[in-house]
Order: sequence, then structure tokens, then C-alpha cells
Amino acid sequence: MTSNLAAITGIGSVSPYGQLAGLIPQCDLEPESITAWTTAGLRRAFLAKPFRPASVVPGLKTRRLDRLSAWALVASSLAIQDAGIDLSQVDHSRVAVVFGTGFGCAELTEAFYQSAAANGWSGTDPSPFPEGLANAPAGHVALWHGLRGPNITVGNKGFAGESALIQAASLLRHGQADLAIVLAGDTLTRAVYEWYEGAGLLSPDCYNLEPLPEGGGFMPSEGVAAFVLEPAGRREVRAYANVVSGRWAAGGKPVETIRQMLGGSVPSLTICAGNGAPCAASSTVALAREISRSSATIVPAQAVAGGLADAGAFLHLILALSGRPRSGRALLLGTSGDSGFAALLLELP
Amino acid sequence: VVTGVGVVCPYGVGLDRLQAGMLAGKCCLAPTKDVYPGFEGSTAQVCGLPLPGKGAGSKYSRSDRLAMAAAQDAVRDFDCESVAFREGGVFMASTVAGLSEIDPEIAMDPAAWYRRGGLERAASYPAAHVADAVGEHLGVRGPRCAISAACASSAMAIALAANMLLDGAARMMLAGGSDALCPFTLSGFSSLQALDPDPCRPFDRNRKGLNLGEGAAVLVLETLDAAMARNAHMLAVLRGWAMSNDAFHTTAPQQQGNGLADCMRVAMEMAEASGDEIGYVNAHGTGTPLNDVAEANAYETTFRGRKRPIPVSSTKSYFGHCLGAAGALEAAITILAVRCGALLPTLRLTDPIESSSVSWLRGEVRRDALPLAMSVSAGFGGSNTALIFGDARFGNSGSGNGRS
Repeated sequence: MTSNLAAITGIGSVSPYGQLAGLIPQCDLEPESITAWTTAGLRRAFLAKPFRPASVVPGLKTRRLDRLSAWALVASSLAIQDAGIDLSQVDHSRVAVVFGTGFGCAELTEAFYQSAAANGWSGTDPSPFPEGLANAPAGHVALWHGLRGPNITVGNKGFAGESALIQAASLLRHGQADLAIVLAGDTLTRAVYEWYEGAGLLSPDCYNLEPLPEGGGFMPSEGVAAFVLEPAGRREVRAYANVVSGRWAAGGKPVETIRQMLGGSVPSLTICAGNGAPCAASSTVALAREISRSSATIVPAQAVAGGLADAGAFLHLILALSGRPRSGRALLLGTSGDSGFAALLLELP
Repeated sequence: VVTGVGVVCPYGVGLDRLQAGMLAGKCCLAPTKDVYPGFEGSTAQVCGLPLPGKGAGSKYSRSDRLAMAAAQDAVRDFDCESVAFREGGVFMASTVAGLSEIDPEIAMDPAAWYRRGGLERAASYPAAHVADAVGEHLGVRGPRCAISAACASSAMAIALAANMLLDGAARMMLAGGSDALCPFTLSGFSSLQALDPDPCRPFDRNRKGLNLGEGAAVLVLETLDAAMARNAHMLAVLRGWAMSNDAFHTTAPQQQGNGLADCMRVAMEMAEASGDEIGYVNAHGTGTPLNDVAEANAYETTFRGRKRPIPVSSTKSYFGHCLGAAGALEAAITILAVRCGALLPTLRLTDPIESSSVSWLRGEVRRDALPLAMSVSAGFGGSNTALIFGDARFGNSGSGNGRS
């Protein structure tokens, strides 16, 4: 028996928590000092530890790829494994890949600029050029697994992950795919970190080993999380959550739109997503309170996932699910500073 | 249904300029070194147009500004104060986005480059900035996002925007793409040895590669009900769409064109159309040796058994390959084809690739009534998209599963 719901049946992630299939064991993470480039004094972030992708997925060759592509390959493989799917038994032309990212393959884009700075525009290194495209990770996921369905990369200020999940659920609902590998992620590079710094978006904790009480700003993070999404009830397997519906907008009336989506029901749990800056986190909690009854549990935004800026929603959801929430309806909710919002209504089995 | 089309291209702003330029057979390709000294080959640039968002300290990239101008052109008949408009969505594609605003010096010392004024310019780097620029410029506040699928991006943006209408997420969607010409892409394609030093010759046996161009195109998509409710002028009906991936190679297409053929087949199934009912295909047709063979093979697979060979042309021979904007610009040209029955030839096609199922359009403009026409796009990463448009005047606006 199938339904209009889309079930998340597999999870994989490459993040500061490591390379994991399924949920993330509860633990506290400390930010690490940046050593990948020379910094003027202490600079910290939540960093994904270096690892050899072939040690997690045998046979994987990632030497020429952006880390974002390599991590997407690993996270997607872990998610497929976690879902218990034998891809040899699946019609590959009916499997979609949808990837959400804020900055895309920033590392190789910077490498291309480096070769232009060193050799002039007429002497650039060709290899980073196609691998630096934002859709390279989704292309590699399709290539490695042989997936010939729709292959989509979405960017969205603040809500790339939510947009990817909503688009993927839409593909399933309209019969444009039978299965979707949905991913969201970003990497931290020097140009990205220093842009955050120049724009005054970073937490003072980035520069201090001891947390400062005044707060403000966020601690950047990096990683890729992947979900296997399939029509609920198609296979008799465990589902972490069912995606009921989703909406996002750049402005307008969030409360009205989200209430309309909820159709009179009130979620018992609201998982706050969005970036980790205190102002965004507090506006998300305020919106959650306005929508939910006072009895509803509100899970505040997590620093590690919040540091993933546009692509943190998946990590927020995985961390919330890892906290063993009660069953019922849950809302994954994010806001941006300028009245934008994303809301996903989930059913937790 | 499509109720608006906005275009910014080397011919100027508007569908009328595009139509006049192409029907006249005017080629906009010119020596690249005239614009970018040090670069060889031919390119087509948008020149001398008053694009919005310009000025000292502007936060908008050239791709943003091309997109804003195209979107403004697309919505000129829409009541911009209406709820449907305000709550509409914006799906925009771009492969360049703000890369045109960033200097190589950023790579050596980003913080120093930001201090020298690069901070604001770099803010336009994410592809999502183009959709935000369009939304902010027009006051459209519904769902927005960037679609990245390399050179299939803007065709895919149109397909996904149509899905959003089916989902009821909006009553009106602006969908398209925009890409500026810039040293980053000129250098990238040059390093891959993909550029033809002369004006390109898609589907010719002697083709040598592609030429880059720039521009933007935006379609206004609405559900049939929404368009009828406001008595909108319907330009065309989007009857079918599909997306697929080759899963073959990062940059090279699968040589038999299987992924693209799958994509066309699924789009035709959605449109409930047979191969005989498709009157014209606007090809991806880059002019690179590998792309054009794979594409010809895909047409052979898709249209084998058709009563007459399928008419196909590549309009990249007029103003180059506009990358993330190409799919939307070619969707606009396909809409023109169904509206005025003009099948544009590929320029400079003298010795075409052999294909028994394809009638390569060359020479004069062919005139034929077209109930349906297809636009196909493909890109690095293996992505393919096919869009099928019908003429609203042929009375097919209500068919095809009630699609938008």
C-alpha cells in the first residue's frame, strides 16, 4: 500500500561527527582550530575530519574531485546502505538525485581562480573547471550509482536542504521518480570563512577557546547529509520520518502559510533549523511558538547544523531524530533574517 | 500555460527583437578579443542596454541584472499588485551567477580582496542570488531557488516550476535562466579546448566546438485555471517535460544518446504525443564533436519510424551558447516556432551529420503549422531536460492531464 507521503528510509552523513550510516550518537562536539590555511590568530569551526573515502566506500576514486563531491558520494552510499536497498534490483532510470547547497564546489572554484592568478586567464588548469560546477556532486552520485533519473541541484539562501527535500517529494508524488537520493551540504574554504568574517557574521567563539557570554554570530561548519526518500509503504521497512508536505517562501505571511499547510493539525514537536546565528535562531523559536500550542516541544537549532548555513536542515533533522523524539507530527522550521521561511511537516512513526 | 516570455539577448530586449533578428538570419557572434583582449574565438554579447540594478556599489552581478531585465520584460502584462503575483515563485538558473564579479586575486588572499571592495561583489557568488535579485526587483515573495544542472539548468528550472504549480505551491511561477559572459567561463571552456575559433557550426561534419554567448530568458507559468481567471493572454502550453541523467561521464555525453532519448520519450508520454506529432525540435546543438553525435543518435532512437524525418535545428549558431540561460532562451525560441510556424535553420550548416530520422534545417526559414515542438537541453554532470510546447490556439490547452 502506497500513499502520497514520502518516507525517509535511509540516512548517511559526513560531518564533524564522522562518517555515519543512520542516526548520530548523542555527543557534544567542540569546534576545532583551522589549520588548512594560515590564519592571523586563532580561528575555529566545526570541521569534518579528513578521511579516505575509499576506506568507507571501497573502490571510490575521489582524487580530482571537490570535497563536496567526495562527501556526497560517501553520504549517499551510507544512506543507501542504511535503507537496505539493493540497487541492482532497482530501475535506475527511475531514481532521482536532488542536492541542496549554498556555495557548491567552492574548493575547486577557488583552485581555478588560483591557477588564473598564477598563470593568467590563458593558462588555467582545466581539471577544476567542470568539477567546480555546483551540480558536480549530484552528477558524481548519479555516475557512481548508475542513477539515470532526474538529477537536480538547488541553491536557496537559507533553505537549500528544505528545497531539495520538497522538490524530491514532488518528483515522487508526480511519478517522475520511484526513489530519490536527497542530499544537502557545503564545505568550508578559506574564501567562505573569510567572507563570513568580513561580513561580521561569525561568533566571537571562533576567536576564543573560552565561550563568551555575549554570543552573537555563528560558528561555521561543514558536511553533507543524505536521505533515501521513497513512497511511504512501498516496502516494509523502517522509516525515520514521513514527509507530509512542505512550503517555503522568501517573504509574505509565514504563520498564515504554515497554518494553511498544517490544515488545522498542530505538531507536537517543532525542530528549529536555519543558520546558527542567535537572531535567526530566536526568530525561528518565536515563529514556532506562534504556530504551536504551548504544550508542543520545541527543539532549538543546533550549533553544528546551524553552522552549515543554507544546507543545515538535514543535519538538524538527523540530530533531532537521534534524540529519540516521541511519535506524532513534527514541523521542521527555519527562518532567515528577512522574513523568509521554510517549513516541512513530518510524521514520525 | 505560458503567459509571458521575457528575453534579453544580443538582439536586444523582448521576444519581438529576438524574432526579428533570428528571422533575418542575423548572426551576433563577433571576435572575442574585441571585448576581452587576450581571448581568441567568437562570442556574442549583450551591448548597450539599460539593465536595471546598475550603479556604484550595486550588489547585483551582471547575471543578476540580465535576469532582472528579462523578468521585467516577461511580466509587463501582469498585475504586479495582485496576490497571485506577490505570492508567486521564482526559479532561476545560472552557472556563472556572481563569478563575473570576482577577480583571481581572491584566491591569493580573500580577506585582503574583500577589504578592497570585494565583499559585496562576492555576496553575489551563490547561484541563489539571481533568483533573489529577480524576486526583490519585482516584489515576488513566494518560493525562490536556484537550479543548477550546468547547461540544462534553465530548462530544468522551467520543468521544476511547472511541478510547483501542480503542487499548488504557487499560482504563478517565474522560471528561466541568466548567464553573463566572463573571463571565468571563457578561460574554462578554452582550457577544455571546447571553443571553436570561428563562428560555430552545430551538426556540421566540420564542426570544431562551441562559442559562448550571454543573455537571460524568463517564462511566466500559470495554471490554466489561474490564467483563465485573470483572462491572461496565453502564448503557449507547456504540454510535457522530463529530466534524466546519462550516468556516463562528467563532461562527455553517452555517445548513443540514451539518456537524452529517455528524456524525450518521457516528455512525449507526459504530453500524450507521438513522434509524428512533434513538428520541430530545438536542439541543444553546441557544435562540439561529442555532443552533436550523441544528440543525433538520440533523435535517431526517438524518432525512428516517424512518417517524415523530424525537423531539427540548433539556434546556438545565432548567438552562441548562453550556458545556464540557454535552455530558457531556446524554450522562448521554441514558443516562437509554435506561435508563428517559423522553423529556424542552423546557420553555417553545409555538410550535416548523416541521420535518416532527422531533417537538419538549413538555408531558408521553413514555414509549417506546428501543434507541438520540443526543446532539449543537456549539460556537464550528465543532465538532460526536454520541454514540449503547444500552441494555445490549437485548442490543446486543456489536454495533457491538466498540466500547467
